[in-house]
Amino acid sequence: MKILMLGWEYPPHIAGGLGTACQGLTWALAEQGVSIHFVVPQLFGGEQAGHMLLTDQLRRAAAPSADDGGWSRRHASFETTRIPALLQPYWSPSQYNSAAQASRAARVKPKSAVPRDDKVAKALIDGEVYGVDLISALYREDFYPEVSGPYGEDIFREVERFTGNVITRIASEEFDVIHAHDWMTFPAAVALSQLTGKPLVVHVHSLERDRSGLYVNQQIEQIERFGLEAADRVIVVSHYTKRMLEQHHGVPAEKVTVIHNGIYPRQAVQDYKIKKTWPRHVVLFLGRITFQKGPGYFVDIASRVIPHIPDVLFVMAGSGDMLAGIVERVEELHLQNHFLFPGFIQGEELEEMFSIADLYVMPSVSEPFGIAALEAISFETPAIISKQSGVAEVLDHALKADFWDVDRMADMIINALLHEELRHELMCKAREEVKRLHWDAAAQKTIAVYQDVAL
Amino acid sequence: MPAVSLYFQVHQPFRLRKFSFFEAGTGANYFDEGLNELVMKRAAERCYLPANEIILEALKRYGGDFKVAFSITGTALEQMQLYAPKALDSFRKIADTGQAEFLAETHYHSLSALYSHTEFVRQVQMHRETVRDVLGQSPVSFRNTELLYSDAIAQRAAELGFKAILAEGADSVLGWRSPNAAFAAAGSGIPLLLRNYRLSDDIGFRFGHAEGPGRPLTAKEFAQRLSTIPADADTVGIFLDYETFGEHQHAESTILHFLSELPKALLSMPSWSFTTPTESAQRSNRRDPLPTPQVTSWADAARDASAWNGNSMQQSCLSRLYALENRVLQLGDAQLLEAWARLQASDHVYYISTKAGADGSVHSYFSPFDSPYDAFIAFMNVVRDLEKRLE
Repeated sequence: MKILMLGWEYPPHIAGGLGTACQGLTWALAEQGVSIHFVVPQLFGGEQAGHMLLTDQLRRAAAPSADDGGWSRRHASFETTRIPALLQPYWSPSQYNSAAQASRAARVKPKSAVPRDDKVAKALIDGEVYGVDLISALYREDFYPEVSGPYGEDIFREVERFTGNVITRIASEEFDVIHAHDWMTFPAAVALSQLTGKPLVVHVHSLERDRSGLYVNQQIEQIERFGLEAADRVIVVSHYTKRMLEQHHGVPAEKVTVIHNGIYPRQAVQDYKIKKTWPRHVVLFLGRITFQKGPGYFVDIASRVIPHIPDVLFVMAGSGDMLAGIVERVEELHLQNHFLFPGFIQGEELEEMFSIADLYVMPSVSEPFGIAALEAISFETPAIISKQSGVAEVLDHALKADFWDVDRMADMIINALLHEELRHELMCKAREEVKRLHWDAAAQKTIAVYQDVAL
Repeated sequence: MPAVSLYFQVHQPFRLRKFSFFEAGTGANYFDEGLNELVMKRAAERCYLPANEIILEALKRYGGDFKVAFSITGTALEQMQLYAPKALDSFRKIADTGQAEFLAETHYHSLSALYSHTEFVRQVQMHRETVRDVLGQSPVSFRNTELLYSDAIAQRAAELGFKAILAEGADSVLGWRSPNAAFAAAGSGIPLLLRNYRLSDDIGFRFGHAEGPGRPLTAKEFAQRLSTIPADADTVGIFLDYETFGEHQHAESTILHFLSELPKALLSMPSWSFTTPTESAQRSNRRDPLPTPQVTSWADAARDASAWNGNSMQQSCLSRLYALENRVLQLGDAQLLEAWARLQASDHVYYISTKAGADGSVHSYFSPFDSPYDAFIAFMNVVRDLEKRLE
């Protein structure tokens, strides 16, 4: 089975858990014989993707990496080198139309007897997909041949550019199912599905409502809804997210499959533990410093712990729109001697930080999954997680509290730091538990979804 | 010919609140009065009252032919006085018939047999007195908390003057031998009455589970299983949590009907009879010693003490708690002594077990906490507060 996957980031260049999840899932899918073409807007070099074809939106393949995390060594029989085919670099509107017609005519099997949703079709014809100007993307002569710099100055322009390029450069590929990760890829995925008649699976790793709480960006939420409606099947990373889809987007339960993320076991953790030279107890916050991740609660929690554990150090690794305010708040409370802000960290630095921490705390306000908690455990660091998280559904051996219950979280941290035996038991049991949260299980369920929609 | 010794354990602990670290020093109550009242009232309504009625009825109908034994912890008696006086009355009525035996144990359902000799003796004496005062009967036989047993524990029971002691018929101790044979404790020689765990668990755990032929178990079928026991057997110990009847196994599962049919089904078998632990101890003069150097119990698949001290959190809680003994006794504050003693209930550390599988689900069935870690944190916060109050 050939899957066309649309994503927004891929390790090592990632902003959050989305890229990590995409890597884990595609590894396990490839192991089970699924052939994947994974498209991201841009490649940055160093991507470890020997298990699939990874390209940017202009269909330029990732350079083979010297270090693919050992994947190709462990799977010597797996075909790792694929030469990207040359596409027509520029299409005129008429070429596009005829290609699209040819593609529609070539459709052997309609995906269902029922015609596609009128609203979706109309949106495509009108070229207005809830704020993403498809027509201008489609009928531009230059098609953004070069992508410059990291995205961000205007996310909607990036989504539009991605949509246009995917439709023109990728639509003619051969694939059986389209699998799209999060809203940024939904317009492209829906358009592709319309053009090719191939079934569409959208995968929700997080929702605008998780990220922004009450102050949601209407445009993003509309795009999410558009993708959810157009999809043949929706994969979500937790029951928590499934409930949000039902409540806020009216997505019927039978259309949604819960597939929890997994984790690959790690080795060489002991190296860091032995190297642990920090003289103090370390409590780690790791993630974007934004509303969703509850950084303000983390500071409140810390202010309750510090009077009782004098040697504690709270590390807030990450960056985000709330960072400056958080630093200010810490200074107001005169707690700067107990705080460290190393900024956004990745790679070895990240691994070292996970390893030397005594506790990982995730006080997220709304966390569809929270893969970082599994990562912390894989580095032998016990986790305290918010009950408003998907990962709380799969982890028994973690401390759990409501994100707003700062007294409870502080109580847990104090006891965990005072009682080595509590950390020890948590770690021994969580280590075993995490072994069962393998990506293989997630991949098996994903394949079952593919088989369902491809029928 | 073999006799059946039915013995029912009645126990309710004083469960802890989710006592916060930040409550230390505020004088906040350790115990969840609301929950304890709720559980006691529910157990009384679902089990103690209807089951006692059945037992009383059978005691009347079969005269001296039907016999039963109970052990009611001091904390359960206290809670009945507080929240379910009618249940206490019905136990008194059973005691008044003179046909039911009431056993002694540690007043607070504690693990003191393993952690403090002096506290063990104090609690056993206290329980003996409580049972005499409340039920009007002085216990003469002993069952330790959760059937925790060893040669050393039997020795202490003998020293306290008990006529018999109850224990689990654990495979690890019995090997090829039958739990239905007459044994004595090695060393002290006190008569030993063993629990036949297969037959007991048929009622306690397997009664309502799984559909299919033979489910739910009827009293007749149970009697048939008993009838396959060889005629030279001495006593078959059917020892159960009393809450099995109506609480752990719901009334809808016909468990109460089973209880009401059991006396008739058993007495209709030729030459079978009921007995009580003390009577059974006098039945046979020939008793083989059963050396039990390691501690056994009726809990978990391991049937040892690991349900309560199997992990480092539990061990840490127990050593912190028992380290307070001298200070508590020296201070002589009755309230603090009672709080300390209630904290010794084995239940608190039982909730902190991290065992997985079938054992784990039994632990979490009983636990009022979301996880063993939450149970540990609440316990440690309480102990920390108690330590402060003892300073």
